[in-house]
Amino acid sequence: MTGHALARTASSIRIEAVTKSFEREVAALDSVTLDIEAGEFFTLLGPSGCGKTTLLRVLAGLEQPDSGRVEIGGRSMAGVPPHRRSVNTVFQSYALFPHRNVRQNIGFGLEMQGVPGAEIAERSQAIAELTGIGTLLDRDVAQLSGGQRQRVALARALVNEPDVLLLDEPLSALDAGLRAHLQLELKRLQRRLGMTFVFVTHDQEEAMVMSDRIAVLNAGRIAQVDTPQGVYEAPADLFVARFMGHENFVPIRQRDATGVDTAIGRLDGDFGGGTHLLLRPEAIRLDSDAREVPNRFMARVSERLYRGGMTEYRLDCGDIQLMASCANRGQPGHEVGETVEVGVSDRGTATLAD
Amino acid sequence: MRSVRLDYALRVFWGLLLVFLYAPLAVVVFFSFNSINSSARFAGFSLQWYERLFRNEAIVSALMNTVVLALASTLIAVVIGGLLGYGFYRYRLGRLSWLVWLIYLPVIMPDIVFGIAEMTFFVAINERLGILSPGLGTMVIAHVTFQVPFVALLVNARLLSLDPQLFEACHDLYAAPWQRARFFLLPVLRPAILSSFLLALTLSIDDFVISFFTAGPQSTTLPIYIWSAIKKGVTPEVNAIATLMIGSVLLVALFSLLAQHGSSGGKQSKGGTKA
Amino acid sequence: MSVLHRETRHMLFTVAPGALCIFVFLVLPSVYLVGMAFLTNGPYGLPTLPLSLQSFRELAGFGFLGWSPGNLYTLIRSVWQTLLATALVILLAYPAAYYISTRPARWRPLMLLVIVVPSWTNQVIRSVGWMNIFAPGTPVSDFAALLGLTAPQMGLFPSQFAVIVGLVYNFLPFMVLPLYAAFERLDTEQVEAAKDLFASPMAVFRHAVFPQTLPGLMAGTVLVAIPAFGMYVVTELLGGGKATMIGNLVARQFAQASNWPLGAAGAIIMIAVTLIGLKVLRDLGRRLSGDREVVL
Repeated sequence: MTGHALARTASSIRIEAVTKSFEREVAALDSVTLDIEAGEFFTLLGPSGCGKTTLLRVLAGLEQPDSGRVEIGGRSMAGVPPHRRSVNTVFQSYALFPHRNVRQNIGFGLEMQGVPGAEIAERSQAIAELTGIGTLLDRDVAQLSGGQRQRVALARALVNEPDVLLLDEPLSALDAGLRAHLQLELKRLQRRLGMTFVFVTHDQEEAMVMSDRIAVLNAGRIAQVDTPQGVYEAPADLFVARFMGHENFVPIRQRDATGVDTAIGRLDGDFGGGTHLLLRPEAIRLDSDAREVPNRFMARVSERLYRGGMTEYRLDCGDIQLMASCANRGQPGHEVGETVEVGVSDRGTATLAD
Repeated sequence: MRSVRLDYALRVFWGLLLVFLYAPLAVVVFFSFNSINSSARFAGFSLQWYERLFRNEAIVSALMNTVVLALASTLIAVVIGGLLGYGFYRYRLGRLSWLVWLIYLPVIMPDIVFGIAEMTFFVAINERLGILSPGLGTMVIAHVTFQVPFVALLVNARLLSLDPQLFEACHDLYAAPWQRARFFLLPVLRPAILSSFLLALTLSIDDFVISFFTAGPQSTTLPIYIWSAIKKGVTPEVNAIATLMIGSVLLVALFSLLAQHGSSGGKQSKGGTKA
Repeated sequence: MSVLHRETRHMLFTVAPGALCIFVFLVLPSVYLVGMAFLTNGPYGLPTLPLSLQSFRELAGFGFLGWSPGNLYTLIRSVWQTLLATALVILLAYPAAYYISTRPARWRPLMLLVIVVPSWTNQVIRSVGWMNIFAPGTPVSDFAALLGLTAPQMGLFPSQFAVIVGLVYNFLPFMVLPLYAAFERLDTEQVEAAKDLFASPMAVFRHAVFPQTLPGLMAGTVLVAIPAFGMYVVTELLGGGKATMIGNLVARQFAQASNWPLGAAGAIIMIAVTLIGLKVLRDLGRRLSGDREVVL
């Protein structure tokens, strides 16, 4: 890096009972309370319309909450307009200024704050190198590819050394390969800078790969806040489980001291409370593997999807369809139409409320 | 090949179209140098109509009026209309949606109706209050009123074509409202402002009817002068005056072409020189 | 509260000058003109009370000498000449716009400029040009006489023919520009898909090209037909008594005849016919595009 190094700035965020509704709509944010730690990579995850972008805009100051409190770095943000907040945003559309080249785009925020020209040049250069666009500084933004635009938007925000960086689905416009690459890069950058990142996405895999913690939002409320592992392995409810990509839900009919009665039969073990059983595809064993676990039943293979390292089987078990995924270890596998023995243990399962 | 034949036919058609478009102008220019008063026979080259023209004080003052009217009304209309176009963009969903419909009024109103409405209105006001007597002032007001909607629509269209997140990006990147106007809106709207300036200027220069009905005895413009010259049956200088106007329009066209060329050609290097 | 206050001030600053200008100098005069149509013609051609429908009756042709169809003919002629001129403009503009869109991109702005420049001169001057060309004894007039179209030693103006030429000449650019915009955006994959699906050249045009240019055509028609219908200069300079349009009739009530209420009534009829025309065009566009809404 040349000359100026980015100062390590990080702030915690406290969101207290924030409610926001728009005309003709139910509450976009319904009494949301959240604590984000300094230096954390925090993701707001949820389907479109769940309120995640609204929450991000409230943090940026682009929306005023109807009620509730927002504190950034211990300071209340009530009545503080966006241009007085040490918070910067990477917009979903990137929002690069069409009348300015890359260098002028990056320097915009510093210019508005009255930073001297020489310092702007130095800091822009440094941040451009950090984000891998050091050679593009004199390009017109119209000449950039999607990935390059994304980096310019990132550099334009980072150069201001904000307490918090907000990212609104910054990777959603990119193709899969580039996206995976930039996910890693963004994550590394965040670690290196130690800055607080608040990241919005609707892609659960992206959220899991990148985040320290994830908040899953549903219809303006927080459904769960946990580490990626926690959210995936112990989803708080059916919504979170479905959203995290789970497919195997088995309704529980009855429960007693040694196990539960379900739509696929009696299962022994400690399954906890809740109305549904969640089986992770990796936790369903077939044939020889199945014999190691206590609960076994028969099912018919209705579909088989070869995925390289593993094979996915769709299984008909009475009225219920289950998805199992098995590592490929050189055996021939199972054919469609074949009847197989299925084993389920209490490990790799969870129970859910509705 | 069918498409080759079609292409050839289109080429010929284009040529004929250019003849159609420019023959009337060319004829005017050509016969303005005629030594006799005829547009049927060219008797010899002469500048006599131009000499007469510049000795005629009425024509010189009409020329002045034309220039003042066009520039004054266009400048005022670009400022007022630009602000209005921006205001509509900011508040289009709120209390102002009904106003947008009014803006389309001049677009569907034949200019003769507009000219007459202005004229009767100015007369009525003048009778009661003694202000707005017909002259350059009333002409400028009428032209501005006619131009403002077009400017507002152009500026508004440009704003609507922008990514709305750009406004938020300004805000997010520490731009205070005045800085947003100075460092974002004005530069980004510059092409729209330029083209609305040209459009408003064209509307003003092209207009005869509105000027005709709102003019006073002292505020004759060149088109009005030509009109009354034709009506009186006196035509000799008409071609010469018309040639002057055609010439200045061609100059403006050339200028705008160069400007266009300059801005597109300089685009690649622009960043480098500015940075 | 102070935020709201600043918003209001900002709105006033941006919108108020333009809104005021439009309200005072456009809306008020229009309302005044409409009101005038319902007044009585006074001794000096100026409107006076009482309220009456006298001018509409007069406009419909009822005078001291019974009913005369003159004004009705003028209205019908105005509509007819507008339709004819618009149709001719479309015939010229369609191939022109297509041709421009097929040329290399760097030539197109120049070609568009070439189309537009004549309209930057003044209406009166453009008519003067045609008066020069159509005057008695010019090559064009002599040629027309040779073909027996006009009497020898007569010019081609004043005539209905000259008026139509003048109208087409005036409004051609207004059609070329929107049509060109439509051609430039033309989705060529639709054209290729049509060819791929065995469409003949005619069918390709009908199903893949025409529908895509329809919005441009509609916009152009509005831009051409409305001012053509209200034309004053061209008819006055190039047309004789047999080519006058309603704009001339209206103007005459203010300039020479001094019957302001009658002129105001005529102006209302002009606006009414314009609005009816827009409605018809909208319905036509909807029909042509297969019930899809064409934005006008």
